[in-house]
Amino acid sequence: MTSLPARTARRPRVPVAPYLFILPYLLIFASFWAWPIVSSFLMSFRDSRLGPSAPLGLSNWSRLLSDESFRTALQNTLVILAIQVPLMLTLATALAVALNSRLLRAQGLFRFAFFAPLVVGTVAYSAVFRLLFNTDYGMVNRALTGLGLPAVDWLNQPVPAMTVIILAMTWRWTGYNAIILLAGLQGIREDVYEAASLDGATPAQQFWRITLPLLRPSLLFCLVLSVIGTLQLFTESSLITGSGPGNATLTLGTYLYQQGFQSFNFGYSSAIAYAVAALAAVFSAVQLRLFGRDG
Amino acid sequence: MNKLTVLATLALASALTGTASAQADLSGTVTVWSWDVAAKALQSTVPSFNKKYPNVKVNVVDLGNQNTYDRGLAGCAAGGTDLPDVYSIENNEAEVFWARFPNCFTDLNTLGADKLAAQFPAFKWTELMAGGKRYAMPWDSGPVAVFYRRDLYQQAGINPAAIKTWDDFIAAGRKLNTKFAGKVKMGTVGNGKDDEWFRMLANQNGCFYFNTAGTEITVNQPGCVKALDTVKKLYDAQVVTTGDWGGQITNIKAGKTASAMYGAWYEGTIRTNAPELSGKWGVYPMPASKPGGVRAANLGGSALSIPDSSKNKAAAYAFLQNALATTGGQVTMLKSEGLVPSLLSASKDPYVAQGQAYWGNQKIWQTILDTLGDVPQARGTQFFQDARQVVLVTQSDFIGGKYKTAQEALDAAARRIASATGLPVAK
Repeated sequence: MTSLPARTARRPRVPVAPYLFILPYLLIFASFWAWPIVSSFLMSFRDSRLGPSAPLGLSNWSRLLSDESFRTALQNTLVILAIQVPLMLTLATALAVALNSRLLRAQGLFRFAFFAPLVVGTVAYSAVFRLLFNTDYGMVNRALTGLGLPAVDWLNQPVPAMTVIILAMTWRWTGYNAIILLAGLQGIREDVYEAASLDGATPAQQFWRITLPLLRPSLLFCLVLSVIGTLQLFTESSLITGSGPGNATLTLGTYLYQQGFQSFNFGYSSAIAYAVAALAAVFSAVQLRLFGRDG
Repeated sequence: MNKLTVLATLALASALTGTASAQADLSGTVTVWSWDVAAKALQSTVPSFNKKYPNVKVNVVDLGNQNTYDRGLAGCAAGGTDLPDVYSIENNEAEVFWARFPNCFTDLNTLGADKLAAQFPAFKWTELMAGGKRYAMPWDSGPVAVFYRRDLYQQAGINPAAIKTWDDFIAAGRKLNTKFAGKVKMGTVGNGKDDEWFRMLANQNGCFYFNTAGTEITVNQPGCVKALDTVKKLYDAQVVTTGDWGGQITNIKAGKTASAMYGAWYEGTIRTNAPELSGKWGVYPMPASKPGGVRAANLGGSALSIPDSSKNKAAAYAFLQNALATTGGQVTMLKSEGLVPSLLSASKDPYVAQGQAYWGNQKIWQTILDTLGDVPQARGTQFFQDARQVVLVTQSDFIGGKYKTAQEALDAAARRIASATGLPVAK
């Protein structure tokens, strides 16, 4: 008993053992996360093309402001963001409500079916969309002409190509968001609806006055993730349309890749990467401010 | 036998046995990265290589063209990790590698390539050398030709010998449109995916993205403006269709296009993809911009290099020598996949003068190789990809009606290339 206070007195103020245990993680984090982030920031001030990286000051950043391709990529990304994200979240909400309905049988099967697109490999899914929308031999045009409608040159015209990208993304991500929203729906207590029914609220009123407000945290989560995901969009633009025709479906992600890995201009592509990250931060902050508060 | 003779004999004997033992010593695996028909062509030289070096296993990997380029750059950026022993590089893109990764590839002079230099035309080396080092060995070249369907031309009443200018080509396309109700076109243009037609036509007119010194942007010079104008004319006359690499092959197989214009290496692509059309195809030189004008250009053409990280450089170099620096190797690739040799002696091979069964017994290699001397120079420089990205977008915008004139479109392109590369636009 007498030894106890002495032991307490000898114990160091800051315990070392826990830090030793997480040290391996911290080292890995520092070398594979923190350092690349810092390094790419430093690189955004250099020209990585002409021999040894010569310091260039702000020229990569000033090029961003005057670069037409960057502007096109930004514009395309924002167009996809403005059309695809609301469309997808509306569909996902409808789907989640349907999946949550007690009237629906085999709910597990449906949940799996709508989640399945996410499990498919991105390259395989892109190849399938390319085939579906092939101008001469694709199923979509076969169906259109079968119905007496004109065939569309999907992948070689700017607006149709953009449409294909939006459709493909919606196919892939709606189910994923629906499952998150479904979890949100199941968190709403049943007695709220019972009380509303007793007060004579119609199902439509219940949806607008109860379901949507109580689902807001889940919707916000989906919205923020979708916006960040769309800002980084790469797969569809690169594999389905090859960012074409021309630059019609060039996104920030594909432009970053082009500059980094085709033109080997790492400095400039680092600047693009930081621009994308800054955009994502601003968008997220705005959304949290607009939709995140109660009341 | 005097002393000198003995010494000489000994020296000769040791040299001979030295070479022999070096050959016998070569063993292990040589991994080769390449694409499409080029990979198949290299594969076809493996038997003759293995006759000389039975202990070396050659593993040719077909990565596809873009993927080979991307993975090569990524490997060099990572300090040479995950690179093969033999790497294929298109001449146009070669300078990107030498400029940014001067230590990624072996200087072939250290393996003896300087002794072979004179066996190849000088222009093939210009893009392959930098800083006094010889980074790759010339492989094939891509003299442009028009491949055409004899039967379809005949049905539409087109005489290929009468197609001498692009206006003739468009007139022939109109005949096709009339005969087949617009269902058969004169060719597939990779509009919005690539700018190959622009490059072929510009080269024909003596113009390219950059001047041959690689110091100025020349993409808005008259020859290039004329080229872009012609591409638009083809579209406006509705004699061509749009499609990527795969789409073009599908169109050929389905009989939706009656011709195709490409570097001569496309011969192998047509022949191996559409064997059922044997005897129905022929070749004629590309049409000129004006009567009596140049009917030649070059598209593509590649080289082979040895990454510095290769563990088996001696065997890799032996593979290069057998495939590229022997008439046997080059003609094997010409036969199997239609790769046009750069090796000077190969064009004198009797095979070149033979009629080819697939091409209706036409002596196509004579026709194609005869244009080589007329090909104007063009240089890719290390900014080839930057310029190509800009021009392929400009072409598709111009055809889509975004610019009033080709001059206006290419002036804009030149400005954008200048802002991307820092090079000045030529006056």
